[in-house]
Amino acid sequence: MTQRNNQQIRDLVREDRVHRDLYVNPDVFDLEMDRIWSRAWIFVGHDSQVPNAGDFYATEIGREPVIMVRQTNGDVRVLHNRCAHKGAKLTGRPQGNCKGFRCPYHGWTYKLDGRLAGVPARKGYDNTPFDMKDPRFSLAPVAQADSYRGFVFATLDPNAPPLPEFLDDAAATLDNIADRAPEGEVEVAGPPLRYLHNCNWKMFVENLNDAMHPMVAHASVGNAARRYVAEQPEGTEYPPEAEIIFPFGSSYEFFDKMQVTALPHGHAYMGGELSIHSDYSAVPGYWDAMVKSYGEERTKKILSQNRHNTIFYPSFTAKDAIQAVRVCRPIAVDKTMIESWHFRLKGAPEQMLKRTILYSRLINSNASMVGPDDWDCYTRIQEGLVSDAKVWVDTSRGLGREEAVGDGRRKSFGTSDLSYRNQIQAWLEYMTDEVAA
Amino acid sequence: MTAQAQHAAPDLATIEEFLYREADCLDRVDLDAWIQLYTEDGTYWMPVSPDQQSPETEISIFYDDRLLMEIRRRNFGDEWAASMDYDVRCSHLIGNIRYATDGGPDDGWRVQSNFQAAIYYRGETTFYAGHYTHDLVNTPDGLRIRHKRVDLLNCDSAELGSIVIYL
Ligand code: FES
Ligand SMILES: [Fe+2]
Repeated sequence: MTQRNNQQIRDLVREDRVHRDLYVNPDVFDLEMDRIWSRAWIFVGHDSQVPNAGDFYATEIGREPVIMVRQTNGDVRVLHNRCAHKGAKLTGRPQGNCKGFRCPYHGWTYKLDGRLAGVPARKGYDNTPFDMKDPRFSLAPVAQADSYRGFVFATLDPNAPPLPEFLDDAAATLDNIADRAPEGEVEVAGPPLRYLHNCNWKMFVENLNDAMHPMVAHASVGNAARRYVAEQPEGTEYPPEAEIIFPFGSSYEFFDKMQVTALPHGHAYMGGELSIHSDYSAVPGYWDAMVKSYGEERTKKILSQNRHNTIFYPSFTAKDAIQAVRVCRPIAVDKTMIESWHFRLKGAPEQMLKRTILYSRLINSNASMVGPDDWDCYTRIQEGLVSDAKVWVDTSRGLGREEAVGDGRRKSFGTSDLSYRNQIQAWLEYMTDEVAA
Repeated sequence: MTAQAQHAAPDLATIEEFLYREADCLDRVDLDAWIQLYTEDGTYWMPVSPDQQSPETEISIFYDDRLLMEIRRRNFGDEWAASMDYDVRCSHLIGNIRYATDGGPDDGWRVQSNFQAAIYYRGETTFYAGHYTHDLVNTPDGLRIRHKRVDLLNCDSAELGSIVIYL
């Protein structure tokens, strides 16, 4: 694949279909790591994961191990997690606090900003090119790191556009998550739930705006809940879980009305005002806390934004009305780690967080009655695509029925494959741009 | 633990027999019978971190009350659910059963044990291991579970796939 030229990559994508190589070919995956995951802005973490100086959190940007670390001046930096000496990863634990980094192998030490602080028995380097001040002997910062409303992204590409430009209107989803807090800020609540998927990373991301699957793939849990209630004495009310479970069985018409909006760089979102979250009942005290902070008009405006899933292609997806996000970490062509993170709205009643957690447990958990059905369908695609009977994957629903809404954004009915095609278009742009490779 | 509950504490053989019964329900994949071993306010919790304090303000792998148990057993094996299109077979081993030195319900007892469970699903056998904490109470029908906490050794690891049945 590395030998494939741009034309050969373009041959994998048609207007209404994509070649299975995108999902099953390890060479394509390798190339994606170089050309997409090393160039796009990738979600690293939320700055509330590292509240104090010296707090660090280790993760990956594509295949690149990195550390997000809070500086003594309050800044958050993202460093490559690779000792400048012989290459050992500096942290074994995924998070913690330190005064500086000390490599466990030969004891080189680094300041929190990555600068080399000391090496044992330095005299041995006398009359060599070794130089404490030379960046070659310090931890390398990633090419660019920036944050938006506390959400930290980084890119390995020094030529990537600035983060706000990359985010485009997807930024409004992050704004809304933070604005839904009476104090205008969110913080991470607890550790993430990690769920290993046996599928290509794109299947997960593509599914997030796939509105043709919920009423099929997730029908069973709604039916089970309905059967249970039907067996109860007359007049039994639906449990609170029902208002989370039932919308997954909404009709095609409902999802169509939600609409899908495609943004530049492969981003997209479903919903806007109407979504599967817009009918949630009010949590006592929340409205008052919001009005106190924002006034009634602005509160109404904030709470009227109900985007379903926003995709920040390729690494990050968020639900504004739920304050839950999922992070995509590709591992191999058929292995993807999905992390669910949850946020506390600062200044809001704790009940809001409980709803976020309940939602995620019912829908995203690897032991829920929803997530494992998605998981199974992705795995089946991975298993089915080995078939030589056909090599194309269809992306044609709603083709040609999208409407330009300015600034390179496009809109279509909710069950259209528009977001899918939009992601593939971004895929192609990243994959064929040899200049920055 | 009240003095009375202490006084009435069942011997370990009784506890052991009860935990085996619960494991047997899961091994037979008889969720109906399994649910009957829980009190009306019974809960089942599988945290996502070893020292997790709250099932409500932090995410968990499982946190089911009776209602969710009832929905789950009706969902189990549903032919419309992709994840349910496979045989599920389980083998649980429980050992090191002992009374906890602290904690537990006022009207009952906290029991701890170690477990290993092999789950056959999607043509593969996955091995789970960890610690059980059972809060047990006496009812007119005999011992019942008020709360069960399952601490998986790898609860926070990056290697967990779908878990389609209680452990
Ligand atoms: S590899 Fe880090 S000090 Fe030698
Ligand atoms: Fe789904």
